[in-house]
Amino acid sequence: MELENTKKVNFWRKNVKAIEKYQFMHHFLPHEEEQTRSKFLSNGAILLYCIFVFAVTATFRFLPKLVPGVLGYASNITISDLLAQTNQKRSEKGLSPLRLNSTLSEAAKQKAYDMFENDYWAHISPDGVEPWDFILGQGYDYIYAGENLAKNFSTSKQVVEGWYNSPTHKSNLLGANYDEIGLAVVNGTLNGYETTLVVQMFGRPRDRTQVASVIEEEGLLEEISVQEEVTEPIMGTQITVNPKEVEPTLDVTKVSRSMSLTFGGFVGSLLALDVWYSKKKGIKKFTGHTFAHLTVLLMVIVSIWFVFRPGLIL
Amino acid sequence: MIDDLKENLIEYLVLFVAVIVFLVLFILFRFDKTSLLAISSLGSIFYIGWGIIHHMLRGRLTRLITTEYLLFGLLVFLLLFTVLNF
Repeated sequence: MELENTKKVNFWRKNVKAIEKYQFMHHFLPHEEEQTRSKFLSNGAILLYCIFVFAVTATFRFLPKLVPGVLGYASNITISDLLAQTNQKRSEKGLSPLRLNSTLSEAAKQKAYDMFENDYWAHISPDGVEPWDFILGQGYDYIYAGENLAKNFSTSKQVVEGWYNSPTHKSNLLGANYDEIGLAVVNGTLNGYETTLVVQMFGRPRDRTQVASVIEEEGLLEEISVQEEVTEPIMGTQITVNPKEVEPTLDVTKVSRSMSLTFGGFVGSLLALDVWYSKKKGIKKFTGHTFAHLTVLLMVIVSIWFVFRPGLIL
Repeated sequence: MIDDLKENLIEYLVLFVAVIVFLVLFILFRFDKTSLLAISSLGSIFYIGWGIIHHMLRGRLTRLITTEYLLFGLLVFLLLFTVLNF
């Protein structure tokens, strides 16, 4: 027995590299003799992951204040898709479709401009300007009117789904008192992030004979589909109306999701390795339950992957 | 792993039910980021509490194990918080 041990010691002495390799393995696999988890799953390592994730999130929050427009949200939202999705929701509930009105659309566009220029995200501007001021300002005389706002969404479908799942926005979307709709999709820099704002305005004109006809609507949609208006920079911000596919320098949604999924996946894989290797080698560790950690981490990955979507509504 | 599950069946059942409840809550409130943040915080706190109570009941609670659950709870919350922030 002693001879065998001496042989072992001599072997490791002669093979320093093998020792290093053996030790490195324990960054990923639990330690049989020390009865501990892998080094990458130690409390110190988990603390480092927490600090790193927090630091990246904080950087993403503060960077736009220092360098506006570098971080942003990718989007592919069109007025024709928003109109189609809205009217599909209405037809599912047996309601008449809303007609796209050019005056209401202009009011929606002015509202989006105002939010970018004055850097706010609200129904009422910091100066107290209300949605109705934009509608009346364009000369649209209404009996009923409403407004829905959205930002940071990727697609038209996500925008309408977002509104549809909020009771107050849904009541606008399915409002039986409305005949017409105005839509604006405008890209610019808000609070330092490049984003696409969607403004949806609803109305019933006082004179109902003034409701836009199908021909007028088709003409407006055709005009919008070929037109991409780009303004001169206003306070360093370039605003684009009806943007085609938007790809910012760094898509903050993609980066934050990828980081969370990578970390979650990495720690999850190490935990799975820990479960498998400990069973194989019969290692009993005096730690918390690896399987419980794995279960909770899987819930996080599933939520991030399948449930969470970008976008805010107001 | 199966021995571990059998040994702690009731605690694991509580954990699995909680995971399913939290997943359902995530789906129900998927369009409301404020609620999702609140659910994420609750989920993390629940998990830390579950771990500590579970080990306490077995008389195996040490400072290292408490730290481990606190750090895992924090990591889980931060991973969700990062995505919900943008």
